[in-house]
Amino acid sequence: MNRLSLTLSRGIARVTEAALGPYQTAVIRIGFAGTWLLFLLREFPHRQELYGPAGPWGWNLAKELTDDNHAFTALLWSDGQLWFECCYALAILAAAALLLGWRTRTASLLFMLGVLSLQNRSVFVGDGGDNVLHLMAIYLVFTRCGQVWSLDARRAARGAAARARGERVPADRVGPLLWAVLGLALGTATLTGRFGNGWLIPALLWTAWAALGLWWAVGRRTAWHEPRILLDVIANVLHNGALVVIMAEACLIYATAGWYKIQGSRWQDGTAVYYPLHLDYFSPWPGLADLMSSSGTIMMVVAYGTVMVQVAFPFTLFNRRVKNVLLVLMMFEHAVIAVVLGLPFFSLAMITADAVFLPTSFLRRLGALAARARGRLGRRGTRAVPPPRSSEESTADHVGFTA
Amino acid sequence: MDAYDEDSRGPQAPGGSAGTRLPEDFPEPLPPPGAAPPPRTGVAALSLRYQIGAALALGVVAVGACVHLVMVFLSLAPANTVTKQHGEAVQDWVYPEFEQNWKLFAPNPLQQNIAVQVRAEVRTKDGGLRTTGWTDLSAQDGAAIDGNLVPSHTQQNELRRAWDFFAATHAGDNRPVGMRGSLSEQYVRRIVVMRLYRDDPTSREGVIQRVQVRSSTTNVQPPAWSRERVSDKPVYRVLPWWSLTSDEAAGGVR
Repeated sequence: MNRLSLTLSRGIARVTEAALGPYQTAVIRIGFAGTWLLFLLREFPHRQELYGPAGPWGWNLAKELTDDNHAFTALLWSDGQLWFECCYALAILAAAALLLGWRTRTASLLFMLGVLSLQNRSVFVGDGGDNVLHLMAIYLVFTRCGQVWSLDARRAARGAAARARGERVPADRVGPLLWAVLGLALGTATLTGRFGNGWLIPALLWTAWAALGLWWAVGRRTAWHEPRILLDVIANVLHNGALVVIMAEACLIYATAGWYKIQGSRWQDGTAVYYPLHLDYFSPWPGLADLMSSSGTIMMVVAYGTVMVQVAFPFTLFNRRVKNVLLVLMMFEHAVIAVVLGLPFFSLAMITADAVFLPTSFLRRLGALAARARGRLGRRGTRAVPPPRSSEESTADHVGFTA
Repeated sequence: MDAYDEDSRGPQAPGGSAGTRLPEDFPEPLPPPGAAPPPRTGVAALSLRYQIGAALALGVVAVGACVHLVMVFLSLAPANTVTKQHGEAVQDWVYPEFEQNWKLFAPNPLQQNIAVQVRAEVRTKDGGLRTTGWTDLSAQDGAAIDGNLVPSHTQQNELRRAWDFFAATHAGDNRPVGMRGSLSEQYVRRIVVMRLYRDDPTSREGVIQRVQVRSSTTNVQPPAWSRERVSDKPVYRVLPWWSLTSDEAAGGVR
């Protein structure tokens, strides 16, 4: 009994005092935002046909369907060309902001708006990759995914370093401004009756907006020590809950894909992989597909291996080493699918979903590698200037001299 | 904010990195020698009144996450005793924003190439009517995908999924089922008209009056090593001629 309560209180302490998996959440933030950003840029020439008011899935058709299924989309608030272009541009900017971790929470809200607005506007042009992004865009809103590898983290570190030197840090102006603009937009949308179709997303937006305001207000008062910690605890709990949901979602994807395959006669007789490789819509490299499917033995091994890995994955999470082996296998398989079946964005989204299970030590090494590469690039770019050092190192030096 | 942030970071030392809450990149924030231990955060740092608030939040989030995952699980699972009883509650929770389908190539992958083909009746400039030959739009998509590292959704999904949508919302005799049936019909028509105006020389020069769509389903030939035999003859599903609305005929679709 005593041990149970001890474990319980330890667990509660863990999930309330920190937003767990800072590197994992950062990597999926970068991954999903990057996938969507690349997709939007790739489809930029086709944007009218896919999502525009005069595309084949015309404004009226989309309106009729969303009035029936109550899916959220801001794109149908107006059938104007200008409104569409603004929404598409905003979706690109939001994805870029989230990728960089600039005002991460607000960026994640706008990112979600962009993903839902475009995808729900034209549901029939999407595939599995869009589906993954759709769900994760909603889940990401609940996470503190900008703790590392983000402009927010850099700004916070610089501010802290300056304060440690005894300098006065100027009050943040961009945040309140962004918040005011967001509030104005939400208010306008609500008052003009745009939020009439489904309550979930509008409620989420308003709640997040109110919470951002509260966070800012409470942070300004030194006396409000406990409310601040309470808000921090709530944010941590929400983050950790969302992280569990994201991980479980990835497991559900694999479990569903795997368990349903077991029932298929083609997966049983080992020819299943051959067929997608020979569908006209999924064979950008017919020669490569023929080469891969030239041996019945290889096809059978791949088919059985795929099913085994997909079914087994959720259970391997209990063993670090086996889990990592499977992660490598699945990421490799998705990289192959990206090229061979011509599904780069689906594969990128799935690899990102897998990345939430990567070990912290690996991600930190990856981050260090990226930082070193960036440093080398920077040095090559600015030869005349003394070698740049990371801002953090230089501020640390200052502290050494002045303190 | 200041008190909390500064205390938790402790004094800065040369080489030490800033922040425990927001660690800048890497390396791992090392506590400088002789630094005061960071103050307690989490529920332990709160008085009872606030602890109750935190516990409430923890409870709500825990229950919310569990309910959500159960609902998503039930929406993905095969029909079962629970979904028979509570199917509507599951649907209400999951649709529309958490809808998902992960039966990727399962239980069996598609083993047929389904091509959508179209022909048109075009009013030419001299006032005559001309009927074009069949244009295989799916073959055009396939050619656009060949050798393409990043196929567009317009090539890979648009027509393919529009036809899936049409087939799912139409009875065997091509009669539309419900509101979605009529939507899918308009959608397919608008796609084929857009593509004809874009690529078909006869259509480009005149005004399309009517279109006829058919699907051609061909079995993927089984691998040589499987010793299976299937027919290689295409099976056609021919839809009736559709008249265009004036908007569609004018090429209103871009």
